Amino acid sequence: MRKKRTACLLLLPLFAVTALSLLACGSVLAQSLGVIPAFGLEEPTLDYYRNALTSPAFHSALLVSLRVALLSALAAASLGTVLCAALVRVCRARGAMVSLIRLPILVPHTVTALFAILLLSQTGLVSRCAWALGLIDDPGQFPQLLFTPGYGGTILAYLWKEVPFVAYFTLALMAGVSATLGEAAENLGASPLRSFLTVTLPLSLPAVSQAFLIIFLFAFGGYELPLLLGATVPKALPVYAHLAYMHPDLRQRPAAMALYGVILLLSAAMAALYGLLTHRLLRKIGGGR
Amino acid sequence: MRRNVLLRLFLAAAVLCILLPAAVLVLWSAAARWSWPSLLPERWSARTVRELLFGSQDLWRLLGSSMSLGSGAAGLSTLIGLLTARAVSLYDFPGKGLVRFAGLLPLLIPGTVFATGIHLVLLRLGLADTAAGVLLVHVMTALPYSISILTDVTAALGGALEEQAAVLGAGPVRAFFAISLPELMPGVLSSLSMAFILSYSQYFTTLIVGGGRVKTLALVMVPYIQGGDRSLASVYALAFTGSALLVSALFEALIRHWQKRGDRL
Repeated sequence: MRKKRTACLLLLPLFAVTALSLLACGSVLAQSLGVIPAFGLEEPTLDYYRNALTSPAFHSALLVSLRVALLSALAAASLGTVLCAALVRVCRARGAMVSLIRLPILVPHTVTALFAILLLSQTGLVSRCAWALGLIDDPGQFPQLLFTPGYGGTILAYLWKEVPFVAYFTLALMAGVSATLGEAAENLGASPLRSFLTVTLPLSLPAVSQAFLIIFLFAFGGYELPLLLGATVPKALPVYAHLAYMHPDLRQRPAAMALYGVILLLSAAMAALYGLLTHRLLRKIGGGR
Repeated sequence: MRRNVLLRLFLAAAVLCILLPAAVLVLWSAAARWSWPSLLPERWSARTVRELLFGSQDLWRLLGSSMSLGSGAAGLSTLIGLLTARAVSLYDFPGKGLVRFAGLLPLLIPGTVFATGIHLVLLRLGLADTAAGVLLVHVMTALPYSISILTDVTAALGGALEEQAAVLGAGPVRAFFAISLPELMPGVLSSLSMAFILSYSQYFTTLIVGGGRVKTLALVMVPYIQGGDRSLASVYALAFTGSALLVSALFEALIRHWQKRGDRL
């Protein structure tokens, strides 16, 4: 009995913080349903969602965010897994290389955006290297990656941060599996590649897929990179929502909150779907616990 | 063997991709003129450094507010993380899965939604647009990482050593500080370091919850990145990244010191 009470006391600050988080989500959802007593709005309505969901600007913003999140997360998960394998195989998951890999994780997105501008713009370093190699004669010939509706620069900037993240996130598990079952497979005659593909990789998938979910949701809800590197039209969904939120006419507030509501509900739905899918998939492969 | 060559090449490419931007940042911050297609600046100048040190923004005040917010957030997040980790790893109670989920919750809420929603809550609590409100939000952002790091180390250490100390007559507080805390120090330091960096890097939460009244280096830097002056943007980014990495390196050294101390004992 006493023990239970002590645990409860220890958890009090977490409970308080969790209550604040839930209240935050609740406030956004309440305002998105048009309930803002301070403005004299008290009847809940789905009108703001209906208006948001039928607007073409919303559709293109949603598409931009989904595309950026999906492409960057897929590429980062694949390249990150290769990077992790390289770290395990070549560096034995230790040493200066591993510290170096942590660097991009520590650099904030705003600075990453500046890196993208300095390197990937039409007058950036990569374009200068292309000139030095004789590939282009004029900055205009270098492909436009920044501030364009394709969001190529945004995706590349996400990759710069997320590939090391996936590698770092998977490193402990993959190093463990490789040192035990992977080596066992090789001792029994499997080639290193076969041992990696049939033993180490499948057993490391739980970490890779968790990392995938984290970076996908982060890129889907991310504000800084599409703000600093994206096009004026179409905007990414969080940038579009924040712009609506900053509208000087306060009666527009519920419409902006409906956009945040869509971001929140879609993220929750994707996390839940992901939970269901990976649970089944991992059980099938035998990598789940 | 051939596969290792490919992997080595891949690693080399990764190193280049990580270090090249940093080098370009240093070059740009000292460049007076660097026109396309030169690979190196044509003229150098200390203009940006003068602007950084004596310009329109008060660098030392910005550093001071960012560092104190970061330290406060690191301390509080680590403290709450330790309490939560102890409860989860050393006590038995129903609903543990729910508690673990609660610890991760802020990670699952999209950042823009979280910042906007918490601003509404803080408005009602009278904490919006204050440093205390910003500190609270930074703690909430860092907490999932602190909880995860500290739960790992607390669970690995277990409660047996403290029980022995209790049998020998030590009170629970003394048992924790004399026995467990020194063993947990590497985890505590990792949590402090992680939470500090997270708070130090916050942009959107500080912007929304601070309402423009709370200024940090991470916040002030962004208009320079949006503006056209690459040299000025680079010098601010350099000051920011340099100071953040310095603190991070300090923590790394402390962690190594504690691990060595542990090995000696």
